[in-house]
Amino acid sequence: MRMRMRRGIRWAAALSVIALIAAACGDDGDGGGDGGEEGPFTIGVSNTLVGNQWREQMICAIKAQARVSGVVDEVVLANRDTDATGQIADIEGLISQGVDAIIVNPADATALDDVIATASDQGITVVAVDQAVSAEDAYNVTNDQVAYARLGAEWLFEQLGGSGNVAYMRGFDGHPADTARDQGWDEAIANYPDINVVSEVHTGWDPSTGAQQALEIITTQDVDGIWTSGIDYPVVEQFQNADEPFVPIVGADNNGFIEQLIELEDGGLVGAIVTNPPPVGGVATAIAIDLLTGAEDHPRDTLLTPEVYDNVDDLDALEELFLPDLPQGFVSTMEIEPWTTYTAQDVLDCKGPGEE
Amino acid sequence: MSATTGDMTRSVAEARRRWLRMHGWTIGVWVLLAVLLAWYATLIPAFGSFTIASIAKNSLQTVYLAISQGVVVIVGGIDLGAGAMMVLANSISARLMDGQGFGMSMVISAAVLAGAALLNGFVGWIIVRSRVPDIIVTLATLFVFSGVALMILPSPGGGASGGFRAMFTGSAGGVGTNYWPSLAALVIPLAAVSVWLRRSPRGLALYAVGSDVNAAYLSGVNTARARITAYAIGGAFAALAGLAITAITANGDPRFTNAANGTLNSVAAVVLGGIALTGGVGSVIGAVAAGVILFILNPILTAMSIDPNTAQVIRGVLIVAVMMTAGLLEVRRRRTE
Repeated sequence: MRMRMRRGIRWAAALSVIALIAAACGDDGDGGGDGGEEGPFTIGVSNTLVGNQWREQMICAIKAQARVSGVVDEVVLANRDTDATGQIADIEGLISQGVDAIIVNPADATALDDVIATASDQGITVVAVDQAVSAEDAYNVTNDQVAYARLGAEWLFEQLGGSGNVAYMRGFDGHPADTARDQGWDEAIANYPDINVVSEVHTGWDPSTGAQQALEIITTQDVDGIWTSGIDYPVVEQFQNADEPFVPIVGADNNGFIEQLIELEDGGLVGAIVTNPPPVGGVATAIAIDLLTGAEDHPRDTLLTPEVYDNVDDLDALEELFLPDLPQGFVSTMEIEPWTTYTAQDVLDCKGPGEE
Repeated sequence: MSATTGDMTRSVAEARRRWLRMHGWTIGVWVLLAVLLAWYATLIPAFGSFTIASIAKNSLQTVYLAISQGVVVIVGGIDLGAGAMMVLANSISARLMDGQGFGMSMVISAAVLAGAALLNGFVGWIIVRSRVPDIIVTLATLFVFSGVALMILPSPGGGASGGFRAMFTGSAGGVGTNYWPSLAALVIPLAAVSVWLRRSPRGLALYAVGSDVNAAYLSGVNTARARITAYAIGGAFAALAGLAITAITANGDPRFTNAANGTLNSVAAVVLGGIALTGGVGSVIGAVAAGVILFILNPILTAMSIDPNTAQVIRGVLIVAVMMTAGLLEVRRRRTE
């Protein structure tokens, strides 16, 4: 009996070893091209935050740009909620799949260095999108997150006449974009000694968490202004729920927030959007394709500067951005000239090459 | 003469049936893993040493968590704090190892493992002495350990030496084609703990306590010691998962979501691996295969271009399907006997 048990364990172990060895007999992949090729190319995407409207749009912009480029035959998505450990595994999976380029929204600025170097050694073009990575071989295509926070904060502090109590509603703790925005926030606040931060919270870029925190801040603190890291329309809604007078608020180019800024302008809502367009994914795709085909060379870092529109001076611009038929969380900026060549409808369709 | 032969054949057949009943699930899970590996090999252009190294290395986290949870579930408990212990070990080790050499990293690893075993052994002691259910005490440790991790390392950071990283990943940079160290890191601890569980009296005591704590007590088993030992070993393996993360990323990540995901994956691996949540049944060998399966589903689903939003559903359905298949086989077996 015991003898047989042992044999069974051995058998199971042998089986797995055989599976591994059989598998090991395959050849190593040669990765992809070194540029100057005609395609068709496969583009891999690694993203670690799902169920987030911004990220969904970023991915749709990647798919749309890949589709209209005509030289990409497949976009492979490694998309799940995970951390840097999981992202390294996902990128290794994409390398195993033999993709030609990888577009990565990094969960950590430094933890991916080695896996990116490995991808690069195999001839794979790596483009980090949304926030930069420290890997030398990667191209970075980012919205300038430091400027994003600084511009919005400066608008808010000016609006308050340089003094008052503000709430600082940040993004995802430890996320590179959140860290960069914190730097921009610090740069801005250094010039306004009479601004007091009475509350600093992390929304995790989650609308329901942000709404909870906003309600708490509004009802328990004496705030004169609120800066949000993009969780904006839920905060305005909490003012309405709590029946409190609005205070100046800074948000992102979310459709719902823009609608509020237009409609509640009469009701005393003063606010500004700072653009943080997800089509940065489309820009990264355009750059990756340029590098693959050798059509054009690009610098390592492409920084897109955000723009600020408030409902005091730029109401027209807001009305132009507003998309009446789309949900609140939808980000209104759809295209980035001159990079993206798709139409807004392509992003809404969200179909990659070969998808029906 | 012929009657004796018939008896022997019958007893051999009977022994085979019993053996299959005991180990059928474990074998089934390993076969499922082999099938998935073979399938994955057909989905990608080249299944070479890079891919094997990647799978072996990236499975370590769920495999260690599976062993950690498996030992505790076998003794009849459950450790919801396993994921948090992993995050705590990851945070401490990444913070302390930053800028240190290989020798010092080994000292830190040993200290972290011993500390985790002591700490979780203490948790086991609290459970035994206070008689508060395991699920409540360890739910508390899930939050406590996560909080402590955030105190030690407020945001992601830290580092690890190249030699230490190579121990788990096969290369100083954490990514490479040398898969032997990762496979060794997977097999050696598994072999040690499963031999201990099945061969040593103290290991077998875990099964005895898990199947019937009163019967075990009446037959002279030190039930308190068995439960505390299980929690201590569980803590050490959860910490080993944390050390593996440090080696793979050269980074500590204290965020609570990692702890929660770790705990959920550990329970999923145990269930899929055939360890009964009622205790006393199953083997860590099955749980280890389940741990690798839970990891390898990600690249497979990606390679199949399955909509990522459906991937989670598929993972859940797979677990339920395996459980139901096993349940049906069990019912059929009972009917035929």
